[in-house]
Amino acid sequence: MTDLAREEKVKSDIEARFAGAVSNALVQRRNRVWLEVAPEKLPELMAWLKAEGFDHLATVTGFDEGENLGAYYHATDTKMIVNVKVRTPRANPSLPSVLASFPGALSYERELEDMLGIKIAGLPPGRRYPLPEDFPTDQYPLRKDWKFVPPANETEAK
Amino acid sequence: MSKITIPLGPQHPALKEPENFMLVLEGEQISGATVNLGYNHRGMEKAAEERTYIQDLYLIERVCGICSHSHTTCYITNVEELAKAETPKRALAIRALFGELERVHSHLLWLGVAGYEMGFETLFMYTWRDREQVLDCLELLSGNRVHYSINTLGGVRRDITAEQKAEVLKRIQYLKERTNYYIKLATEEPTVLARTQNVGKLPLDVAIERGAVGPTARASGLARDVRKDEPYLIYNELDFKVITHDSCDVFGRLVVRALELVESYKMIEQILNNLPEGPIAVKVPMRIAPGEAVNHYEAPRGEDIHYLKSNGTDKPERLKVRAPTLANLQSVAYMLEGGWLADVPLVIAAIDPCMSCTDRAAVWDPKKGKTQVYGWEELRKMSIEQYRRRGVDFTRL
Repeated sequence: MTDLAREEKVKSDIEARFAGAVSNALVQRRNRVWLEVAPEKLPELMAWLKAEGFDHLATVTGFDEGENLGAYYHATDTKMIVNVKVRTPRANPSLPSVLASFPGALSYERELEDMLGIKIAGLPPGRRYPLPEDFPTDQYPLRKDWKFVPPANETEAK
Repeated sequence: MSKITIPLGPQHPALKEPENFMLVLEGEQISGATVNLGYNHRGMEKAAEERTYIQDLYLIERVCGICSHSHTTCYITNVEELAKAETPKRALAIRALFGELERVHSHLLWLGVAGYEMGFETLFMYTWRDREQVLDCLELLSGNRVHYSINTLGGVRRDITAEQKAEVLKRIQYLKERTNYYIKLATEEPTVLARTQNVGKLPLDVAIERGAVGPTARASGLARDVRKDEPYLIYNELDFKVITHDSCDVFGRLVVRALELVESYKMIEQILNNLPEGPIAVKVPMRIAPGEAVNHYEAPRGEDIHYLKSNGTDKPERLKVRAPTLANLQSVAYMLEGGWLADVPLVIAAIDPCMSCTDRAAVWDPKKGKTQVYGWEELRKMSIEQYRRRGVDFTRL
Protein backbone atom coordinates (compact mmCIF):
# COMPACT_ATOMS: atom_id res chain seq x y z
CA MET A 1 0.00 0.00 0.00
CA THR A 2 1.34 3.38 -0.96
CA ASP A 3 1.68 6.11 1.57
CA LEU A 4 -1.41 8.30 1.65
CA ALA A 5 -0.12 10.90 4.12
CA ARG A 6 -0.56 13.87 1.80
CA GLU A 7 -4.10 12.81 0.80
CA GLU A 8 -5.08 12.30 4.45
CA LYS A 9 -3.66 15.69 5.37
CA VAL A 10 -5.66 17.51 2.69
CA LYS A 11 -8.78 15.67 3.84
CA SER A 12 -8.29 16.45 7.53
CA ASP A 13 -7.32 20.08 6.82
CA ILE A 14 -10.57 20.61 4.91
CA GLU A 15 -12.60 18.83 7.59
CA ALA A 16 -11.05 20.97 10.33
CA ARG A 17 -11.45 24.25 8.48
CA PHE A 18 -14.95 23.66 7.17
CA ALA A 19 -16.29 21.71 10.14
CA GLY A 20 -20.02 21.13 9.87
CA ALA A 21 -20.17 21.95 6.16
CA VAL A 22 -18.09 19.03 4.86
CA SER A 23 -19.33 15.44 4.81
CA ASN A 24 -18.49 12.06 3.26
CA ALA A 25 -14.81 12.93 2.89
CA LEU A 26 -12.90 9.98 1.45
CA VAL A 27 -9.38 9.17 0.34
CA GLN A 28 -10.26 6.82 -2.53
CA ARG A 29 -6.71 5.95 -3.54
CA ARG A 30 -3.41 7.68 -4.16
CA ASN A 31 -4.02 11.22 -5.52
CA ARG A 32 -7.83 11.06 -5.25
CA VAL A 33 -9.79 12.84 -2.51
CA TRP A 34 -13.59 13.06 -2.61
CA LEU A 35 -15.82 15.12 -0.36
CA GLU A 36 -19.17 16.84 -0.20
CA VAL A 37 -19.72 20.42 0.91
CA ALA A 38 -22.79 22.54 1.65
CA PRO A 39 -23.46 24.76 -1.42
CA GLU A 40 -23.15 28.07 0.51
CA LYS A 41 -19.59 27.12 1.56
CA LEU A 42 -18.52 26.17 -1.98
CA PRO A 43 -16.91 29.48 -3.07
CA GLU A 44 -14.99 29.69 0.20
CA LEU A 45 -13.76 26.10 -0.10
CA MET A 46 -12.70 26.61 -3.71
CA ALA A 47 -10.80 29.76 -2.79
CA TRP A 48 -9.05 27.85 -0.01
CA LEU A 49 -8.15 24.97 -2.37
CA LYS A 50 -6.70 27.47 -4.84
CA ALA A 51 -4.58 29.04 -2.13
CA GLU A 52 -3.38 25.56 -1.09
CA GLY A 53 -1.98 24.93 -4.58
CA PHE A 54 -4.96 23.22 -6.21
CA ASP A 55 -5.05 26.12 -8.63
CA HIS A 56 -6.37 24.30 -11.68
CA LEU A 57 -10.11 23.62 -11.85
CA ALA A 58 -9.93 20.78 -14.37
CA THR A 59 -13.66 20.70 -14.99
CA VAL A 60 -17.11 20.68 -13.40
CA THR A 61 -19.31 17.60 -13.79
CA GLY A 62 -23.02 18.17 -13.39
CA PHE A 63 -25.23 15.25 -12.39
CA ASP A 64 -28.85 14.28 -11.78
CA GLU A 65 -29.52 12.04 -8.76
CA GLY A 66 -33.30 12.24 -8.88
CA GLU A 67 -34.26 14.20 -5.74
CA ASN A 68 -31.21 16.37 -6.11
CA LEU A 69 -29.16 17.84 -8.89
CA GLY A 70 -25.57 18.76 -8.29
CA ALA A 71 -22.03 19.06 -9.49
CA TYR A 72 -18.51 17.85 -8.90
CA TYR A 73 -15.73 20.45 -8.94
CA HIS A 74 -12.50 18.69 -9.87
CA ALA A 75 -9.70 20.87 -8.48
CA THR A 76 -6.14 19.72 -9.03
CA ASP A 77 -2.48 20.61 -8.89
CA THR A 78 -2.21 18.06 -11.78
CA LYS A 79 -0.89 15.54 -9.25
CA MET A 80 -3.77 15.16 -6.82
CA ILE A 81 -7.42 15.66 -7.76
CA VAL A 82 -9.80 16.94 -5.07
CA ASN A 83 -13.39 16.20 -6.13
CA VAL A 84 -15.81 18.54 -4.37
CA LYS A 85 -19.44 17.50 -4.55
CA VAL A 86 -22.38 19.85 -4.01
CA ARG A 87 -26.05 19.02 -4.16
CA THR A 88 -29.07 21.23 -4.67
CA PRO A 89 -32.80 20.31 -4.58
CA ARG A 90 -34.38 19.55 -7.96
CA ALA A 91 -37.39 21.76 -7.12
CA ASN A 92 -35.26 24.91 -6.99
CA PRO A 93 -31.73 24.08 -8.16
CA SER A 94 -29.19 26.81 -7.51
CA LEU A 95 -25.45 26.96 -6.82
CA PRO A 96 -23.10 29.85 -6.14
CA SER A 97 -20.53 30.75 -8.78
CA VAL A 98 -16.82 30.00 -8.23
CA LEU A 99 -15.66 32.53 -10.83
CA ALA A 100 -14.14 34.74 -8.13
CA SER A 101 -11.35 32.20 -7.61
CA PHE A 102 -11.47 30.34 -10.94
CA PRO A 103 -12.26 32.72 -13.86
CA GLY A 104 -11.58 29.87 -16.30
CA ALA A 105 -14.69 28.07 -15.05
CA LEU A 106 -17.04 30.27 -17.07
CA SER A 107 -17.94 27.70 -19.71
CA TYR A 108 -18.23 24.91 -17.13
CA GLU A 109 -20.78 26.93 -15.14
CA ARG A 110 -22.74 27.90 -18.25
CA GLU A 111 -22.87 24.22 -19.10
CA LEU A 112 -24.48 23.47 -15.71
CA GLU A 113 -27.18 26.05 -16.44
CA ASP A 114 -27.78 24.84 -19.99
CA MET A 115 -27.56 21.07 -19.64
CA LEU A 116 -29.01 20.56 -16.15
CA GLY A 117 -30.94 23.74 -15.40
CA ILE A 118 -28.96 24.57 -12.27
CA LYS A 119 -29.12 28.30 -11.71
CA ILE A 120 -25.65 29.71 -11.03
CA ALA A 121 -25.81 32.77 -8.78
CA GLY A 122 -23.24 35.34 -9.85
CA LEU A 123 -22.74 34.25 -13.46
CA PRO A 124 -22.18 37.27 -15.74
CA PRO A 125 -24.62 37.78 -18.63
CA GLY A 126 -23.58 36.29 -21.95
CA ARG A 127 -24.50 33.86 -24.65
CA ARG A 128 -25.62 30.37 -23.60
CA TYR A 129 -23.30 27.39 -23.88
CA PRO A 130 -23.29 24.72 -25.29
CA LEU A 131 -26.85 24.47 -26.63
CA PRO A 132 -27.94 26.39 -29.74
CA GLU A 133 -29.72 29.72 -29.42
CA ASP A 134 -33.09 28.30 -30.52
CA PHE A 135 -33.08 25.36 -28.08
CA PRO A 136 -36.06 25.53 -25.65
CA THR A 137 -34.99 27.18 -22.40
CA ASP A 138 -37.09 24.86 -20.21
CA GLN A 139 -35.46 21.63 -21.36
CA TYR A 140 -32.31 20.25 -19.80
CA PRO A 141 -30.81 17.36 -21.82
CA LEU A 142 -28.54 15.91 -19.14
CA ARG A 143 -31.40 15.37 -16.67
CA LYS A 144 -32.30 11.72 -16.45
CA ASP A 145 -35.96 12.26 -17.40
CA TRP A 146 -35.04 14.04 -20.65
CA LYS A 147 -35.35 11.88 -23.72
CA PHE A 148 -34.42 12.82 -27.24
CA VAL A 149 -37.49 13.17 -29.46
CA PRO A 150 -36.71 13.78 -33.13
CA PRO A 151 -38.49 16.88 -34.47
CA ALA A 152 -41.68 16.13 -36.42
CA ASN A 153 -40.53 17.92 -39.56
CA GLU A 154 -37.29 15.97 -39.83
CA THR A 155 -36.99 14.25 -43.20
CA GLU A 156 -35.08 11.08 -43.70
CA ALA A 157 -32.09 11.26 -46.03
CA LYS A 158 -32.80 9.21 -49.11
CA MET B 1 -11.25 56.30 -33.05
CA SER B 2 -14.67 54.69 -32.76
CA LYS B 3 -14.96 51.08 -31.76
CA ILE B 4 -16.57 48.46 -33.96
CA THR B 5 -17.46 44.89 -33.11
CA ILE B 6 -17.00 42.25 -35.74
CA PRO B 7 -17.87 38.57 -35.59
CA LEU B 8 -15.17 36.09 -36.58
CA GLY B 9 -16.88 32.77 -37.23
CA PRO B 10 -18.60 30.40 -36.63
CA GLN B 11 -17.91 29.91 -40.33
CA HIS B 12 -14.74 31.70 -41.40
CA PRO B 13 -11.91 30.85 -43.80
CA ALA B 14 -9.30 31.37 -41.07
CA LEU B 15 -10.96 28.94 -38.67
CA LYS B 16 -10.74 25.20 -39.05
CA GLU B 17 -13.66 24.50 -36.77
CA PRO B 18 -16.89 26.27 -35.90
CA GLU B 19 -16.36 28.71 -33.05
CA ASN B 20 -17.23 32.35 -32.80
CA PHE B 21 -15.09 35.26 -31.62
CA MET B 22 -16.66 38.66 -31.11
CA LEU B 23 -13.82 41.11 -31.62
CA VAL B 24 -14.02 44.74 -30.54
CA LEU B 25 -11.73 46.66 -32.84
CA GLU B 26 -10.16 50.09 -32.61
CA GLY B 27 -8.74 50.41 -36.06
CA GLU B 28 -6.69 47.28 -36.59
CA GLN B 29 -6.15 46.71 -32.89
CA ILE B 30 -8.29 44.45 -30.75
CA SER B 31 -9.53 45.98 -27.51
CA GLY B 32 -11.85 43.19 -26.42
CA ALA B 33 -12.68 39.62 -27.37
CA THR B 34 -15.27 37.09 -26.28
CA VAL B 35 -15.39 33.43 -27.27
CA ASN B 36 -18.67 31.72 -28.09
CA LEU B 37 -18.81 27.98 -28.41
CA GLY B 38 -21.22 25.13 -28.84
CA TYR B 39 -21.54 24.96 -32.62
CA ASN B 40 -20.09 21.48 -32.63
CA HIS B 41 -21.90 20.07 -29.59
CA ARG B 42 -23.02 16.55 -30.38
CA GLY B 43 -24.58 15.46 -27.10
CA MET B 44 -22.06 12.67 -26.61
CA GLU B 45 -22.29 12.60 -22.81
CA LYS B 46 -26.03 11.91 -23.05
CA ALA B 47 -25.49 9.39 -25.85
CA ALA B 48 -22.91 7.56 -23.75
CA GLU B 49 -25.53 6.85 -21.06
CA GLU B 50 -27.60 4.90 -23.56
CA ARG B 51 -24.78 2.64 -24.76
CA THR B 52 -22.85 -0.19 -23.16
CA TYR B 53 -19.28 0.30 -22.00
CA ILE B 54 -17.89 -1.44 -25.06
CA GLN B 55 -20.12 0.54 -27.46
CA ASP B 56 -19.07 3.75 -25.74
CA LEU B 57 -15.50 2.99 -26.68
CA TYR B 58 -16.38 3.62 -30.32
CA LEU B 59 -18.40 6.70 -29.47
CA ILE B 60 -15.65 8.21 -27.32
CA GLU B 61 -13.07 7.56 -29.99
CA ARG B 62 -15.04 9.97 -32.16
CA VAL B 63 -14.93 12.85 -29.68
CA CYS B 64 -11.89 14.05 -31.60
CA GLY B 65 -10.46 13.22 -34.99
CA ILE B 66 -6.87 13.79 -33.87
CA CYS B 67 -6.63 12.67 -30.26
CA SER B 68 -8.99 9.71 -30.62
CA HIS B 69 -6.60 7.49 -28.67
CA SER B 70 -6.32 10.03 -25.83
CA HIS B 71 -10.05 10.01 -25.16
CA THR B 72 -10.48 6.24 -25.28
CA THR B 73 -7.44 5.69 -23.06
CA CYS B 74 -8.74 8.16 -20.50
CA TYR B 75 -12.21 6.60 -20.63
CA ILE B 76 -10.90 3.06 -20.44
CA THR B 77 -8.65 3.86 -17.47
CA ASN B 78 -11.78 4.87 -15.57
CA VAL B 79 -13.70 1.74 -16.60
CA GLU B 80 -10.79 -0.54 -15.71
CA GLU B 81 -10.33 1.23 -12.37
CA LEU B 82 -13.99 0.60 -11.50
CA ALA B 83 -13.93 -2.98 -12.79
CA LYS B 84 -10.64 -3.55 -10.91
CA ALA B 85 -9.21 -5.09 -14.07
CA GLU B 86 -5.51 -5.99 -14.07
CA THR B 87 -4.56 -4.74 -17.51
CA PRO B 88 -1.42 -6.55 -18.76
CA LYS B 89 1.80 -4.56 -18.84
CA ARG B 90 2.26 -5.20 -22.55
CA ALA B 91 -1.14 -3.65 -23.28
CA LEU B 92 -0.24 -0.55 -21.23
CA ALA B 93 3.02 -0.22 -23.17
CA ILE B 94 1.19 -0.49 -26.51
CA ARG B 95 -1.29 2.16 -25.36
CA ALA B 96 1.58 4.47 -24.44
CA LEU B 97 3.20 3.79 -27.83
CA PHE B 98 0.01 4.83 -29.62
CA GLY B 99 -0.27 7.85 -27.33
CA GLU B 100 3.17 9.06 -28.40
CA LEU B 101 2.67 8.27 -32.09
CA GLU B 102 -0.55 10.25 -31.86
CA ARG B 103 1.30 13.16 -30.26
CA VAL B 104 3.84 13.14 -33.08
CA HIS B 105 1.12 13.17 -35.72
CA SER B 106 -0.79 15.90 -33.89
CA HIS B 107 2.25 18.13 -33.35
CA LEU B 108 3.41 17.75 -36.97
CA LEU B 109 -0.08 18.64 -38.09
CA TRP B 110 -0.04 21.70 -35.86
CA LEU B 111 3.38 22.78 -37.12
CA GLY B 112 1.92 22.73 -40.62
CA VAL B 113 -1.17 24.71 -39.62
CA ALA B 114 1.00 27.26 -37.81
CA GLY B 115 3.19 27.57 -40.91
CA TYR B 116 0.12 28.06 -43.04
CA GLU B 117 -1.34 30.72 -40.72
CA MET B 118 1.91 32.68 -40.65
CA GLY B 119 2.09 32.63 -44.44
CA PHE B 120 4.92 30.08 -44.58
CA GLU B 121 3.24 27.46 -46.75
CA THR B 122 6.42 25.56 -47.52
CA LEU B 123 6.55 24.55 -43.86
CA PHE B 124 2.96 23.36 -44.13
CA MET B 125 3.82 21.21 -47.18
CA TYR B 126 6.94 19.79 -45.52
CA THR B 127 5.40 18.84 -42.18
CA TRP B 128 2.25 17.36 -43.65
CA ARG B 129 4.33 15.26 -46.01
CA ASP B 130 6.42 14.02 -43.07
CA ARG B 131 3.32 13.44 -41.02
CA GLU B 132 2.38 10.74 -43.51
CA GLN B 133 5.27 8.71 -42.09
CA VAL B 134 3.71 8.57 -38.64
CA LEU B 135 0.23 7.98 -40.05
CA ASP B 136 1.70 5.06 -41.98
CA CYS B 137 3.13 3.73 -38.70
CA LEU B 138 -0.30 3.94 -37.10
CA GLU B 139 -1.93 2.25 -40.07
CA LEU B 140 0.71 -0.47 -40.04
CA LEU B 141 0.13 -1.18 -36.36
CA SER B 142 -3.63 -0.78 -36.10
CA GLY B 143 -5.04 -0.86 -39.63
CA ASN B 144 -6.33 2.70 -39.35
CA ARG B 145 -4.80 6.13 -39.83
CA VAL B 146 -7.01 8.23 -37.58
CA HIS B 147 -9.40 6.17 -35.45
CA TYR B 148 -6.97 3.41 -34.54
CA SER B 149 -9.44 1.48 -32.35
CA ILE B 150 -6.52 -0.19 -30.61
CA ASN B 151 -8.06 0.03 -27.13
CA THR B 152 -10.50 -2.48 -25.79
CA LEU B 153 -11.76 -3.10 -22.27
CA GLY B 154 -8.96 -4.90 -20.46
CA GLY B 155 -6.18 -4.32 -22.98
CA VAL B 156 -5.49 -3.69 -26.64
CA ARG B 157 -6.79 -5.43 -29.77
CA ARG B 158 -3.58 -6.05 -31.70
CA ASP B 159 -0.11 -7.14 -30.81
CA ILE B 160 3.10 -5.77 -32.32
CA THR B 161 5.34 -8.03 -34.39
CA ALA B 162 9.10 -7.78 -34.83
CA GLU B 163 8.68 -6.63 -38.47
CA GLN B 164 6.28 -3.88 -37.44
CA LYS B 165 8.71 -2.74 -34.75
CA ALA B 166 11.57 -2.52 -37.27
CA GLU B 167 9.43 -0.57 -39.74
CA VAL B 168 8.24 1.94 -37.11
CA LEU B 169 11.80 2.49 -35.83
CA LYS B 170 13.00 3.11 -39.39
CA ARG B 171 10.36 5.78 -39.96
CA ILE B 172 11.03 7.38 -36.56
CA GLN B 173 14.70 7.69 -37.54
CA TYR B 174 13.67 9.63 -40.66
CA LEU B 175 11.32 11.86 -38.64
CA LYS B 176 14.09 12.59 -36.13
CA GLU B 177 16.28 14.05 -38.86
CA ARG B 178 13.42 16.06 -40.30
CA THR B 179 12.46 17.38 -36.86
CA ASN B 180 16.00 18.64 -36.23
CA TYR B 181 15.55 20.71 -39.36
CA TYR B 182 12.20 22.06 -38.12
CA ILE B 183 13.70 22.99 -34.77
CA LYS B 184 16.43 24.93 -36.56
CA LEU B 185 13.79 26.56 -38.74
CA ALA B 186 11.54 27.47 -35.82
CA THR B 187 14.33 29.02 -33.79
CA GLU B 188 16.44 30.71 -36.50
CA GLU B 189 14.31 31.53 -39.54
CA PRO B 190 13.74 35.34 -39.49
CA THR B 191 10.21 35.17 -40.98
CA VAL B 192 9.09 32.74 -38.30
CA LEU B 193 10.61 34.87 -35.55
CA ALA B 194 9.08 38.08 -36.89
CA ARG B 195 5.68 36.49 -37.17
CA THR B 196 5.53 34.72 -33.80
CA GLN B 197 7.58 36.61 -31.24
CA ASN B 198 5.54 38.76 -28.85
CA VAL B 199 2.32 37.66 -30.55
CA GLY B 200 -0.54 36.29 -28.45
CA LYS B 201 1.07 36.87 -25.07
CA LEU B 202 -0.16 34.75 -22.16
CA PRO B 203 1.72 35.54 -18.91
CA LEU B 204 2.23 32.74 -16.40
CA ASP B 205 -0.23 34.08 -13.81
CA VAL B 206 -2.99 34.44 -16.42
CA ALA B 207 -2.29 30.95 -17.74
CA ILE B 208 -2.82 29.55 -14.24
CA GLU B 209 -5.86 31.69 -13.55
CA ARG B 210 -7.61 30.77 -16.79
CA GLY B 211 -6.78 27.09 -16.47
CA ALA B 212 -4.56 26.73 -19.54
CA VAL B 213 -3.28 23.21 -20.23
CA GLY B 214 -0.72 21.40 -22.38
CA PRO B 215 1.78 23.10 -24.68
CA THR B 216 -0.15 26.38 -24.30
CA ALA B 217 0.50 26.36 -20.55
CA ARG B 218 4.05 24.99 -20.87
CA ALA B 219 4.98 27.81 -23.27
CA SER B 220 4.02 30.22 -20.48
CA GLY B 221 6.53 28.55 -18.17
CA LEU B 222 4.01 26.34 -16.37
CA ALA B 223 5.73 22.95 -16.01
CA ARG B 224 2.59 20.82 -15.98
CA ASP B 225 2.36 17.51 -17.74
CA VAL B 226 0.13 14.70 -16.50
CA ARG B 227 2.67 12.16 -17.81
CA LYS B 228 5.14 13.48 -15.22
CA ASP B 229 2.80 14.72 -12.50
CA GLU B 230 0.63 11.66 -12.17
CA PRO B 231 2.21 9.01 -14.41
CA TYR B 232 -0.34 6.70 -16.01
CA LEU B 233 0.24 3.66 -18.29
CA ILE B 234 4.02 3.13 -18.16
CA TYR B 235 5.21 6.74 -18.15
CA ASN B 236 6.92 6.34 -14.77
CA GLU B 237 9.39 3.98 -16.49
CA LEU B 238 10.13 6.19 -19.47
CA ASP B 239 12.91 8.73 -19.65
CA PHE B 240 11.68 12.08 -20.95
CA LYS B 241 11.77 15.78 -20.16
CA VAL B 242 8.88 18.20 -19.70
CA ILE B 243 9.54 20.96 -22.22
CA THR B 244 8.76 24.49 -21.11
CA HIS B 245 9.49 27.93 -22.52
CA ASP B 246 9.17 31.28 -20.82
CA SER B 247 8.51 33.57 -23.78
CA CYS B 248 4.71 33.24 -23.22
CA ASP B 249 3.96 33.86 -26.92
CA VAL B 250 3.25 31.96 -30.15
CA PHE B 251 7.00 31.49 -30.62
CA GLY B 252 7.18 29.66 -27.28
CA ARG B 253 4.29 27.40 -28.26
CA LEU B 254 6.11 26.61 -31.49
CA VAL B 255 9.36 25.74 -29.73
CA VAL B 256 7.62 23.66 -27.05
CA ARG B 257 5.81 21.52 -29.62
CA ALA B 258 8.89 21.09 -31.81
CA LEU B 259 11.01 19.95 -28.85
CA GLU B 260 8.24 17.70 -27.56
CA LEU B 261 8.45 15.82 -30.84
CA VAL B 262 12.01 14.84 -29.96
CA GLU B 263 10.89 13.62 -26.52
CA SER B 264 8.14 11.56 -28.14
CA TYR B 265 10.60 9.90 -30.55
CA LYS B 266 12.75 9.02 -27.56
CA MET B 267 9.80 7.45 -25.80
CA ILE B 268 8.62 5.53 -28.88
CA GLU B 269 12.08 3.96 -29.18
CA GLN B 270 12.20 3.14 -25.47
CA ILE B 271 8.78 1.47 -25.56
CA LEU B 272 9.49 -0.56 -28.70
CA ASN B 273 12.90 -1.69 -27.50
CA ASN B 274 11.65 -2.74 -24.05
CA LEU B 275 8.20 -4.07 -24.86
CA PRO B 276 7.19 -6.32 -21.94
CA GLU B 277 6.27 -9.90 -22.82
CA GLY B 278 2.89 -11.38 -22.03
CA PRO B 279 -0.77 -11.25 -23.00
CA ILE B 280 -2.28 -8.09 -24.51
CA ALA B 281 -5.73 -8.22 -22.90
CA VAL B 282 -7.73 -9.62 -20.01
CA LYS B 283 -11.47 -10.22 -19.85
CA VAL B 284 -13.57 -7.49 -18.28
CA PRO B 285 -17.18 -8.23 -17.29
CA MET B 286 -20.01 -6.50 -19.20
CA ARG B 287 -21.44 -5.11 -15.96
CA ILE B 288 -19.17 -2.73 -14.13
CA ALA B 289 -19.28 -2.54 -10.32
CA PRO B 290 -20.93 0.63 -8.94
CA GLY B 291 -18.54 3.45 -8.20
CA GLU B 292 -17.00 6.69 -9.34
CA ALA B 293 -13.64 7.38 -10.92
CA VAL B 294 -11.88 10.40 -12.33
CA ASN B 295 -8.70 10.24 -14.39
CA HIS B 296 -6.69 12.60 -16.53
CA TYR B 297 -4.43 12.08 -19.51
CA GLU B 298 -1.90 14.26 -21.30
CA ALA B 299 -3.38 14.54 -24.79
CA PRO B 300 -1.34 16.30 -27.51
CA ARG B 301 -3.23 19.54 -26.74
CA GLY B 302 -3.06 19.20 -22.97
CA GLU B 303 -4.86 17.68 -20.04
CA ASP B 304 -7.92 15.64 -20.95
CA ILE B 305 -10.10 14.68 -17.97
CA HIS B 306 -12.91 12.14 -17.75
CA TYR B 307 -15.30 11.42 -14.88
CA LEU B 308 -17.23 8.16 -14.87
CA LYS B 309 -19.98 6.93 -12.58
CA SER B 310 -21.23 3.38 -12.87
CA ASN B 311 -24.45 2.00 -11.38
CA GLY B 312 -23.74 -1.72 -11.61
CA THR B 313 -25.31 -2.21 -15.05
CA ASP B 314 -23.59 -2.52 -18.43
CA LYS B 315 -24.19 1.18 -19.18
CA PRO B 316 -22.59 4.17 -17.46
CA GLU B 317 -24.71 6.35 -15.18
CA ARG B 318 -22.77 9.49 -16.09
CA LEU B 319 -19.74 10.19 -18.21
CA LYS B 320 -18.12 13.59 -18.33
CA VAL B 321 -15.50 14.51 -20.91
CA ARG B 322 -13.49 17.72 -20.83
CA ALA B 323 -11.19 18.04 -23.80
CA PRO B 324 -8.11 20.30 -23.60
CA THR B 325 -9.30 22.86 -26.15
CA LEU B 326 -12.21 23.88 -23.90
CA ALA B 327 -9.77 24.58 -21.09
CA ASN B 328 -7.55 26.65 -23.40
CA LEU B 329 -10.20 28.77 -25.08
CA GLN B 330 -10.60 31.02 -22.03
CA SER B 331 -6.95 31.95 -22.51
CA VAL B 332 -7.43 32.76 -26.19
CA ALA B 333 -9.71 35.68 -25.35
CA TYR B 334 -6.89 37.10 -23.25
CA MET B 335 -4.22 36.46 -25.91
CA LEU B 336 -6.25 38.32 -28.54
CA GLU B 337 -6.84 41.46 -26.48
CA GLY B 338 -4.40 44.22 -27.33
CA GLY B 339 -3.18 42.34 -30.38
CA TRP B 340 -3.71 43.00 -34.08
CA LEU B 341 -6.48 41.70 -36.30
CA ALA B 342 -3.97 40.13 -38.71
CA ASP B 343 -2.58 37.96 -35.91
CA VAL B 344 -5.95 36.51 -34.92
CA PRO B 345 -5.80 33.31 -37.02
CA LEU B 346 -2.26 32.58 -35.83
CA VAL B 347 -3.08 33.17 -32.17
CA ILE B 348 -6.14 30.94 -32.36
CA ALA B 349 -4.20 28.25 -34.20
CA ALA B 350 -1.44 28.44 -31.59
CA ILE B 351 -3.51 26.59 -29.00
CA ASP B 352 -4.13 23.91 -31.65
CA PRO B 353 -7.89 23.54 -31.85
CA CYS B 354 -8.51 20.27 -33.68
CA MET B 355 -9.77 18.93 -37.00
CA SER B 356 -10.01 15.59 -38.75
CA CYS B 357 -8.60 14.11 -41.92
CA THR B 358 -8.43 11.05 -44.10
CA ASP B 359 -6.88 10.28 -47.46
CA ARG B 360 -9.49 7.94 -48.87
CA ALA B 361 -12.34 9.19 -50.98
CA ALA B 362 -15.63 7.40 -51.59
CA VAL B 363 -17.18 8.53 -54.86
CA TRP B 364 -20.80 7.93 -55.71
CA ASP B 365 -21.48 7.66 -59.41
CA PRO B 366 -25.09 8.73 -60.07
CA LYS B 367 -25.05 7.27 -63.61
CA LYS B 368 -24.00 3.81 -62.54
CA GLY B 369 -25.74 4.21 -59.17
CA LYS B 370 -22.85 2.71 -57.22
CA THR B 371 -20.18 3.79 -54.77
CA GLN B 372 -16.50 3.22 -55.38
CA VAL B 373 -13.74 3.67 -52.83
CA TYR B 374 -10.45 4.98 -54.21
CA GLY B 375 -7.16 4.17 -52.55
CA TRP B 376 -3.98 6.21 -52.56
CA GLU B 377 -2.51 4.64 -55.73
CA GLU B 378 -5.69 5.20 -57.74
CA LEU B 379 -6.05 8.79 -56.54
CA ARG B 380 -2.42 9.43 -57.43
CA LYS B 381 -2.88 7.95 -60.90
CA MET B 382 -5.99 10.05 -61.48
CA SER B 383 -4.24 13.28 -60.42
CA ILE B 384 -1.25 12.58 -62.65
CA GLU B 385 -3.64 11.87 -65.53
CA GLN B 386 -5.53 15.12 -64.92
CA TYR B 387 -2.35 17.20 -64.93
CA ARG B 388 -1.07 15.42 -68.04
CA ARG B 389 -4.22 16.53 -69.84
CA ARG B 390 -3.28 20.09 -68.88
CA GLY B 391 0.23 19.60 -70.26
CA VAL B 392 2.16 19.02 -67.01
CA ASP B 393 3.89 15.69 -66.50
CA PHE B 394 4.29 14.48 -62.91
CA THR B 395 4.86 10.83 -63.83
CA ARG B 396 8.42 10.78 -62.56
CA LEU B 397 7.55 12.14 -59.11
